[in-house]
Amino acid sequence: MKRKLSSVCLHVFLILISLASLIPFWFMFSMSTYKSENIFKNTPLLPSNYLAENIKTIFASNFVKSYGNSFFISSVSMVFCVLVCAMVGYAMNVYDFRFKKAFYTFIMLTMMVPSQIGVIGYMIEMRNISMNNTLWPMIFIWMANGFGAFWMVSFIKGALPFELVESARIDGANEIRIFAKIVTPCIRPGLLTLSLLIFLWSWNSYMIPLVFVNKQDNYTIPIFIKSLASAYRTDYGAQLTGLTLATIPLLLLFIIGSKSFIRGLTSGAVKG
Amino acid sequence: MKKNRSIKKYTVFWPIVFLSPFTIFFFAFNLFPILYSFYMSFLNWNGYSEKTVVGFDNYKAIFTVDTTFWKSLLNTLRIGIVGFPIAILLGLFFAVLLSNLKKLKNLFQTVNFLPYITTPVAIGMMFVFVFEQHIGVLNKVLTFFGADAINFIGSTTYAPYVISFLIIWKCTGYYMAMYLAGITSISEDLYEAAKIDGANAWHTFSKITVPLLKPVTVFLIITSAIYALQLFDEPNLLFTNQSSSVVGGPGQTCLTLVWNFYNQAFGANPRMGYASALSCVLFLIIVIVSLIGLRLMNGKEKDL
Repeated sequence: MKRKLSSVCLHVFLILISLASLIPFWFMFSMSTYKSENIFKNTPLLPSNYLAENIKTIFASNFVKSYGNSFFISSVSMVFCVLVCAMVGYAMNVYDFRFKKAFYTFIMLTMMVPSQIGVIGYMIEMRNISMNNTLWPMIFIWMANGFGAFWMVSFIKGALPFELVESARIDGANEIRIFAKIVTPCIRPGLLTLSLLIFLWSWNSYMIPLVFVNKQDNYTIPIFIKSLASAYRTDYGAQLTGLTLATIPLLLLFIIGSKSFIRGLTSGAVKG
Repeated sequence: MKKNRSIKKYTVFWPIVFLSPFTIFFFAFNLFPILYSFYMSFLNWNGYSEKTVVGFDNYKAIFTVDTTFWKSLLNTLRIGIVGFPIAILLGLFFAVLLSNLKKLKNLFQTVNFLPYITTPVAIGMMFVFVFEQHIGVLNKVLTFFGADAINFIGSTTYAPYVISFLIIWKCTGYYMAMYLAGITSISEDLYEAAKIDGANAWHTFSKITVPLLKPVTVFLIITSAIYALQLFDEPNLLFTNQSSSVVGGPGQTCLTLVWNFYNQAFGANPRMGYASALSCVLFLIIVIVSLIGLRLMNGKEKDL
């Protein structure tokens, strides 16, 4: 009896905590269904009926274009980064070469380098190769990701039996073929986790786009959100609808892949 | 001879093929910009006119003449010292509670993780609608209970702590997940043995759980310190909604290190050389913190 009671208390407490996490999202959504003038009349606990109109307003802006840009940037960054990191992970686990230890230290050091810090030099570099008006600066920055390399090295260590590589070599397969046809299927969960992480990080990235995006055609979602505040100065309903549309799909994507996601993010502290 | 060649294939040729993309991209897009910023830190340049070499003047200005650097450092520390320890402690506490559950564990974990993955920019803007004086939900609640509305975002007293609050709201779920992963890896036998020895819940927690979670705690402290040093997105967006000319929030109390750097480089009055020097100082601080962190976690990394 006492046990049951404490279990109920525990659940209630945890539900309250979870509500604290969710309430801002709820208000964001429910406010987005109001006509601006009506939002602040009462506390908007329940949704109203103005969502369709607000969505129309938002779609008339360059919301769709921003979404496309963010999607393009994140997908390309993800593909490049995961491929490059998986190659590092493969090499560090399968080959024995002279500077292996030094290279491992190098990877650890790359993890520490915060990409925001070099943004001035990066901007001038991109200007010099005439890339500063394109989406590419926001992609290049992800191509060599220290955490990604580190994560692939430790993941492949645990997931790839060396005998598999050896027997494929005896069968006469070359290394590229082994990597593409044998290793990749073996490490699929690791690739998936890293893909989700890189996608999320590049999607959320704010300062680099803030520096490089200087025309509406190149807006990414965070820049679009920033622009909402000035574009709909008084139309709070539209602002919140934009915010809702910009955040909710990614949250859904996360919920679908949440297991893999959380495992990836927690792997930094706890191995295995 | 042939054997030698085939060995070389695996010790020289293929490692180079597989490692060079990462190395090349890192040098081109991550390291080179930082080195270039380092070079720029010795220049006086506003972005378009003539560059002049000024030696260490920029660094001197940062540490002696200019008070904004110290101010932004203090702001960052204040926001971080209030926000992160609370988030870490709450994360630990919730993780211990959650580890007792059998079902629903994943559900609670996922729900509380949502703030962490939400675009930081969106968090900044969402909380404008919570904390704002006239339209904010929180003030609606306050006035409902008869209290006066507080201008949280506009006041120099409250504004930094609003950002601390955003940090707590955002990070607690993540820290919880980290601790939960750590708790899961602690052997069940230890708890069984403690139970047999008659240890109560508090003893088990303080003598087994906390010490064994030390690596996680160290990791979280280091990463959150680095995160704090780079704080920019949330404060920047929290104060954009009001009037775009405000840099650093009310009375610049929310001007973080990176915001100061960004503003010097790309604000109304660009000082590229000075901002580069700022970024180099910041880089140095972050590297020192990371190295200390690596040192502390060293025991763990060795066995990889």
